[in-house]
Amino acid sequence: MHLGKFILIRATQIVVSFFIILTLLFVLFRVAPGDPASMVIDPQMTPEDVEVTRALFGLDKPLYQQYLICLKNFVKGEFGSSFYYGKPVIEIIGEKLPNTILLFTTSIILSALAGISWGKVIAWRRGSLLDSSVTVVGLVSHTLFLPWIALLLVWVFAYWMNWFPLTGMITPELWVDPDTGTVRKVLDVLHHMVLPLSVLFTIHFGGFMLIMRSSMMETLKEDYIVTARAKGLTERQIRERHAAKNAALPVVTSVGLSLAFSINGGAITETIFSWPGIGRELVFSVSNSDYPLAQIAFLLIAALVLVANLVVDVLYAYLDPRIKY
Amino acid sequence: MGIGQMCRRFYRLCFIFILVPLFLWVAITPSHGADIKIGMKNEPKTLNPFKASDTWSRKVVTRFYGHLYTREPKTHKIIPWLADGYPEYDEATNTAIVRLKRTKWEDGSPLTAHDVVFTGSVIREFKVPRYFYCWRCIKEIEALDDYRIKFVLERPMAIFVPRTLMNFIVQKKKWEPVVAAARKAEKPLQHLLAHDVTQPMSCGAFRFVKWARGAYIRIERNENFFATGMEIGGKKVGPYVDGILFKFYGSDDSAILALKKGDIDYYWSSIQAGYLKDLEGDRRFKVFKSDKNGVHYLAFNVRKSPFSDKAFRQAVAYLIDKDFIVVRVLQNEGQRMDNIIPPGNTFWHNPDTPKFGKGMERKERIKKAYEILKAAGYTWEKPPINAKCKVVRAEGLKMPDGREVPPLDILTPPADYDPHRAMAGMLVQQWLRGVGIPASSKPSSFGSITQQVKVKRKFDVFILGWGRLGIDPDYLRTFFHSREDRLYGRNPMGYHNGWYDKIADESAATMDETKRRDLIFKMQKFIIEEAPYIPLYVPYVLEACRVDRFTGWNEDLDGVGNGWSLFFIKPAR
Repeated sequence: MHLGKFILIRATQIVVSFFIILTLLFVLFRVAPGDPASMVIDPQMTPEDVEVTRALFGLDKPLYQQYLICLKNFVKGEFGSSFYYGKPVIEIIGEKLPNTILLFTTSIILSALAGISWGKVIAWRRGSLLDSSVTVVGLVSHTLFLPWIALLLVWVFAYWMNWFPLTGMITPELWVDPDTGTVRKVLDVLHHMVLPLSVLFTIHFGGFMLIMRSSMMETLKEDYIVTARAKGLTERQIRERHAAKNAALPVVTSVGLSLAFSINGGAITETIFSWPGIGRELVFSVSNSDYPLAQIAFLLIAALVLVANLVVDVLYAYLDPRIKY
Repeated sequence: MGIGQMCRRFYRLCFIFILVPLFLWVAITPSHGADIKIGMKNEPKTLNPFKASDTWSRKVVTRFYGHLYTREPKTHKIIPWLADGYPEYDEATNTAIVRLKRTKWEDGSPLTAHDVVFTGSVIREFKVPRYFYCWRCIKEIEALDDYRIKFVLERPMAIFVPRTLMNFIVQKKKWEPVVAAARKAEKPLQHLLAHDVTQPMSCGAFRFVKWARGAYIRIERNENFFATGMEIGGKKVGPYVDGILFKFYGSDDSAILALKKGDIDYYWSSIQAGYLKDLEGDRRFKVFKSDKNGVHYLAFNVRKSPFSDKAFRQAVAYLIDKDFIVVRVLQNEGQRMDNIIPPGNTFWHNPDTPKFGKGMERKERIKKAYEILKAAGYTWEKPPINAKCKVVRAEGLKMPDGREVPPLDILTPPADYDPHRAMAGMLVQQWLRGVGIPASSKPSSFGSITQQVKVKRKFDVFILGWGRLGIDPDYLRTFFHSREDRLYGRNPMGYHNGWYDKIADESAATMDETKRRDLIFKMQKFIIEEAPYIPLYVPYVLEACRVDRFTGWNEDLDGVGNGWSLFFIKPAR
C-alpha cells in the first residue's frame, strides 16, 4: 500500500474514532449523577433560579436534542461555554494549555533524550557495574510514587532549604513590579519550573531508559551488528548508526504517545505545585460537572493521541525501511 | 557518544535548569511593601458581579462594588453605607425613599441614584439567578433625582433592607453598552453573565490593578473611597494597606506551607485542626477561632414512614450524641448545634430551643428513645431495654401499623470530600442500631446526593451542611415552607405544616425587626421540636494571620476574613 493511501485510510479512521469518543464522553458525563445546576447549594438559590440556570446551560432540553446541538456546534467549530466560568471553553483551554505544554512537554523531551542516551550506553556495556547500577536507578525512578517524591522535593528544597519557590509558575511580587524586565521574568518561570520538572524528569526518565536498554539488547543480537563489526566499523559507529537507530523504534512509540498525553498534564503534579495547567482544570471541571470544559479537554487529548499514533506509524516507515504500507 | 560526553551534556543541562536560576534567585527576590498578601485556595472565576457567585470571586469582587446598607462589625446591625440614613418607609403605600451619600466611582464620576436604579432594573429584567428573588417584589424603582431613589414594593417585604438594599451596585455608564448588547443577543442572560470584566469600576475601598490568570490578582487602595476616615464599630476605616495581592494555591497544604514560609500573610480559608499546633507555636502568627455562620444537619424524608412520624424523628434526635461528634470527630474545634440559626448570629438565634439528649449517657439516650417509640406504638421482637432495665441488643423494630421498620440509608458526602460528615454518618448508624433501627451509612458523591435529594427526592436520611447562611434569617422560612417542596426546592424533606407556613409567611412580610424576631424565635423553637432537620454541629472557622506584619484584624462571625478586616488592618511596622 502506498504511504499516502495509508495516511488517508488512517485519517478516516481517526475521524470516526473521534466522533465515537465524542459520543461516549457526552453520554458518560450526562449519566453521571447530579447536574451542575442542582449541585449548587446556596440558600439564596430559588427553584426558579435553578430552572433558569438549567435553561442557560441547555440542560432543560431532552438528551438527544442536547446531543444533536453538541454535534452541530462541534462541526461548526463552536465548542461551547464553560458552565462554571461562563467563558468560551476554547479560551480557557487556550489559557492553560501553554503552561502545561511548557512543563510537561519539556519534561518528556528532556527525559526521553536522557533516557535514550543512557539506555543505549548501558545496553552496550551490559553486565557491567555501570549497567547494573544505572538499571537499578532507572527501575527506582520508574516506580517512584509521584506525590511522595513531589512533596519531598517541595519540603526539602522549597520549604526547608528555601532554594526554590514552593508553588506556582511565577512570583507575583516580581510580576506586579513594572520595572521587572523580560529576562528576569523568564528566569523566574525557569526557577519555578525546576522542582516540577525534576519530579517529572525523574518519573519518566527510568521508563524511557529501560525501554531503550531492552530494545538495544535485542538489536545487538542481530546479524547486521556482527556484519558491521566484521566490516571493521568502530564501536561508536556500530552503536550509533546501526544498533541505536534500529533500537529506537519502540521508544519512538512510547515518546510519541507520551508527548500526546503530556498535554493532559498531570492533575497530581499540577495540584502539588499549583501549576496553572490543563490537568488541574480537567479535574476541577469533572468535579464541578462542567461538561463543556471537561468534554473538550478530553477530546483534545483524544485527538492528539489519535494523531500521535498516526505520526508514530509514519515515523516507523521512515526509521525502518523494511516497514512498508 | 561516550559516557564522558554524555555526562558533560547532563551536567550542562543541570547547570541550565538548576544552577542558573538558583544563583539568580537572590537577585530576583522582591521586596514586600505595604501590600497584604492573601492566599486563596482557588482562583476567582470572574470579576463580573452578576456572575460572581462562587466564594473566590466574591472575596475579590466585593472589594469593588458597594451597596446601600451594610452590617456593622460584630453587632451585625444594619447601618447606612452608600445610603445617607435609613430608608423612609411609608406603610400605607409600601413605598421607600432612600437617599444617597455624595460618593464617587474610582474614575471620579459621582455614584448616583441612576446607578442604583440601573442595577436593580438589570437584575429584574434579566432575572439574574441568586439576586432576582430579592428584587421580585419590587413593583417600581425610580430615581427621583441624582441622590434619591424611590422603591415601590408589591407588599411589605422583610428582606427589602437586608437583601435588596444590600445588593451590589454597578456603574450605569460602564454597563449600559453591555446590557444593550445582551438585549440583542439570542440568549440575553447568558450574554450578560458571560461578559468578561477586565477592568471593574470600583466604588469600594480598593481598585483593580491586574489579574495574571492562574497566579495572582492585585488590587490597590481606591483614593476616592468615601468611607476612609469614618468611624465604625469604634474603629476608623482605612484602608491602611497600599493594596492586596491575592495568590492562588489550589490546595490547603501548599497554602499552609506558603503561610509558614512567609509567602503570604493570611490564608483566606478555614484551616484544618491538624495544622493548628504548628502555627500556634510560631510567634509570627495569631490563630483565630471564630464561630461559623453555618450548620451541619441530618434531615429526614418526611414523606415516608417512619420518618413522617415526629416521635420517630425525636427518638433519633435523642440517640445522636452531638457532643461526642464535636469532641471525637471535630477534635473540639466546633460546637454542637441545637438550632438552625447559629449562635454566632446573636440577634436572630433563639437559645431557648429543645436540646435533645444534652448531657445524657448512651444508656439514658437509648432508654429515652425507647420510651418515645414505645409510647408512639412501636414494638420490638426484642426491645433494647430488658425486664431488668438493662440495655441489650434490640431486634425486630416494628412501626405502629405492625410493619417492620425498613432498612434506612444515611446519605453522607464521602470522607475525601468531608471526613467530618462521613464519620458522623457512621456514628449515627451505630447509635440508631442501638434501638433496632436498621440504619446504614452510605457515603456518596456530592452530585449523587443532590440528585437523590433535590431532584428525585428518593432518599431516607441525609447529612449535609449549610456554610454561607447569611445574617438575615429568611432561610428559616424557605427551608421548611411547604411551597419549597418541589423540584430543586429548598425543602427536599417534604415537610408540610400549615401553622409553620402561616407564621413563616408572616415573618417574610414583617418589616419591623423586633416583631419579626419574635416570629423567627417561634419558628426556631417549633421546627427544632418537629425535627425534620436535626442540627448536629458546626465547625469553628480556624485561621492564622501574620500579626508581625499586620495588626487590627476584625474578629467576627465566619472569621477574620471579612471586609472590615481589610478596612482596619495596619502594617505592624
